Amino acid sequence: MAKRLKAAERKATILAVAKVLFSDKGYHGVSVDEIARRLGVSPAILYRHFPSKEALYEEVLNDIACKRESYVDAVVNSDGSFADMLRKITRIYIESVSKDPDYLRMEMQSALEGSDATRQFFENRWRPFTDFIEFSLKELSASNSIEPVNGQLAAMAFQGMVREALYSKCIYRSPRFRDMDLFEMSDYLIGLFFNAVGYTETGT
Amino acid sequence: MSDFDMELDARGLNCPLPILRAKKSINSMTVGQVLRITATDPGSVKDFEAFCQQTGNELLATTQEGGEYQFNIRKS
Repeated sequence: MAKRLKAAERKATILAVAKVLFSDKGYHGVSVDEIARRLGVSPAILYRHFPSKEALYEEVLNDIACKRESYVDAVVNSDGSFADMLRKITRIYIESVSKDPDYLRMEMQSALEGSDATRQFFENRWRPFTDFIEFSLKELSASNSIEPVNGQLAAMAFQGMVREALYSKCIYRSPRFRDMDLFEMSDYLIGLFFNAVGYTETGT
Repeated sequence: MSDFDMELDARGLNCPLPILRAKKSINSMTVGQVLRITATDPGSVKDFEAFCQQTGNELLATTQEGGEYQFNIRKS
């Protein structure tokens, strides 16, 4: 590694290397010494940019997390319908997976860690789905646009479907979704979900 | 006289619901009218800043009291 990297470049390099290690071994499986060794620098250089291993881990998570601004974008550009919003927020999540192959591994690893950073990571990742689906279905059902459906169950089912399909395709390399790209798979799952909750896209 | 024309209670709702509901309310308002939103999600502060930046609506005031956030947005 060049000795005189600018601070921002150095920080980005540290984050990139740390991400690969954390996604492979989890928070507890990686030491600051190991990250430093991999970078070819002393641990002191790392501590100059990040006060602790946890701070570094948190920044790696934040770096790959879906940005909240993306959800604001989705709302601004949406026609406001349940179908359009669910497609858009699912796409935001899927995009983060397709852009970065380490993303899912990091999510799986982080699920086993118990820090505030990982809880935050989990919340930011899945909370928008839970609340959005649950509240929207309640409203659709109240306005008789769909038959009564348990929103909580539906929200959990949708997350379960998306997770299961992503893990099958991207982690286990199962042949099940081999012929679809991630976005086709996402549309397929959303179609299945709409069918299951009795939602039709016209006029709602 | 109140300093807003319409009120939206987004307490207990999480992203993206408060902004989605705010967008729907603003769509039904006329230019110059003010929407007051009350929310409990701490992330809504950044969300409404970004929302106003992207939509051109004006964020007049943001206040916080006892875990509740209030936003006054003027439709542009």
